[in-house]
Amino acid sequence: MGKKTIEMQIADYVMKYQDSHYRLAYSIVKDPYDAQDIVQESITKAFSSKKSLKEPDYIKTWFYRIEVNTALDFLRKRNKTVLSDEEMLSDQDSGECDQYTDFDLRKALEDLPVSYRSVVVLRYFEDLKIEEVAEVLNENVNTVKTRLYKALQKLRITMNDAKEV
Amino acid sequence: MGNQKLDQLKKEYMDTPIPQELDFLVRKTLKENGVYSIPNKKAFRRLGAIAASIAIVFGIFIVEINSSPAFAKSMSEVPVVGNLVKVLTFREYTVKDEGCDAEIKVPQVQGLKDKKLENSINEKYLKEGKELYQGFTADMEELKKNGGGHMGISSGYEVKTDTDRILSIGRYTVNTVGSSSTQMKYDTIDKKKQVLLTLPSLFKDDQYIKVISDNIKKQMREQMKKDKDVTYWLDDPEIDPSEQFNQIKKDQSFYINKDGKLIISFDKYDVAPGCMGVVEFTIPTDVLSNILVGNEYIH
Repeated sequence: MGKKTIEMQIADYVMKYQDSHYRLAYSIVKDPYDAQDIVQESITKAFSSKKSLKEPDYIKTWFYRIEVNTALDFLRKRNKTVLSDEEMLSDQDSGECDQYTDFDLRKALEDLPVSYRSVVVLRYFEDLKIEEVAEVLNENVNTVKTRLYKALQKLRITMNDAKEV
Repeated sequence: MGNQKLDQLKKEYMDTPIPQELDFLVRKTLKENGVYSIPNKKAFRRLGAIAASIAIVFGIFIVEINSSPAFAKSMSEVPVVGNLVKVLTFREYTVKDEGCDAEIKVPQVQGLKDKKLENSINEKYLKEGKELYQGFTADMEELKKNGGGHMGISSGYEVKTDTDRILSIGRYTVNTVGSSSTQMKYDTIDKKKQVLLTLPSLFKDDQYIKVISDNIKKQMREQMKKDKDVTYWLDDPEIDPSEQFNQIKKDQSFYINKDGKLIISFDKYDVAPGCMGVVEFTIPTDVLSNILVGNEYIH
């Protein structure tokens, strides 16, 4: 497969899934202009690192990975470093069983540390497999599972089927 | 039950508004990375959706906007409307008095993100509308003092082009004192970059004046040859050379039509006898391709 074919495949993919990638970027950076910048930058990065795309079938996870990294870099640069470790999550624990009658699910999702939020977004909104999420985030599968589990806890979502996590 | 919550979240996620510019930006970025000729299907689909929402929203808008500021405000908060750049009648001056008729409609552009640009355009429209009205009432008083007579003025606007990229607004003023004179003025806005386009800004350098003028002369000659009733002030030995069409002004009236063609417009009497009215020339793009800055607008 020649170089040009790979480039065209990337281009086709980007054109087709631009909305998805915009949504993902937006979910991380929370600003329409920044999100568009992220998408543009990701495309440019994708082309300059096209050699790292070993197998065109993996273009989806490959591109997600570039995009997530670009978005996280952006957040770091913006000095709004969003801590993503367990401490951060436990810091947010406000106590025992605080029961809000109108629990705002969306706000709860937005309040999650970005690494937890992206797990939820990739797994449930973008419908990636756990293994793919791990690949995108460059984490091992167990870490992703743990994050997903904790994120769902935070969102007070109890999955009926534990296998889904 | 858990899945239901997730479904709800997913739905909200999927409802994230996608900016209109995204498709353009993605294409631009691909181009910058050396990939050309991407099929255009997607853009068409989105354009259709936007057109449909304009059709629905616009009908209500025109009726309601003057009567209810609260409604106008609430409408501008509907996301899809927020993305739209549109033109509305902002103010209307009407005079009907003993043979003197004036109808002046002042347009207003709404929905540009660049509020400075939007304000400067609207202020210009309002200022010119006011001046027209004041000029008219002054003339009217003068006319009455001198024993009355007939005069009229009609000014308004029409949206010449409204694509997802380009908005061209044409404003006309028809002055009737005995015979009538007509003036056309155009403003063309790039909705995506949020800039007002000027004729010089489209071209690499001043060559366009000659290139466009030569093409217009060619078209004039062709038209006159084809139809004996068509007259332009060109190659006519009876007319003083200074009155003949020589070349376009640097900032000649122009607009860009929906097919991305450059249209040059001349006021009544400018290049032809009054019976020809306001005349327009479509400049073929292949004549311009070498001197255009890019093919973003004109293609």
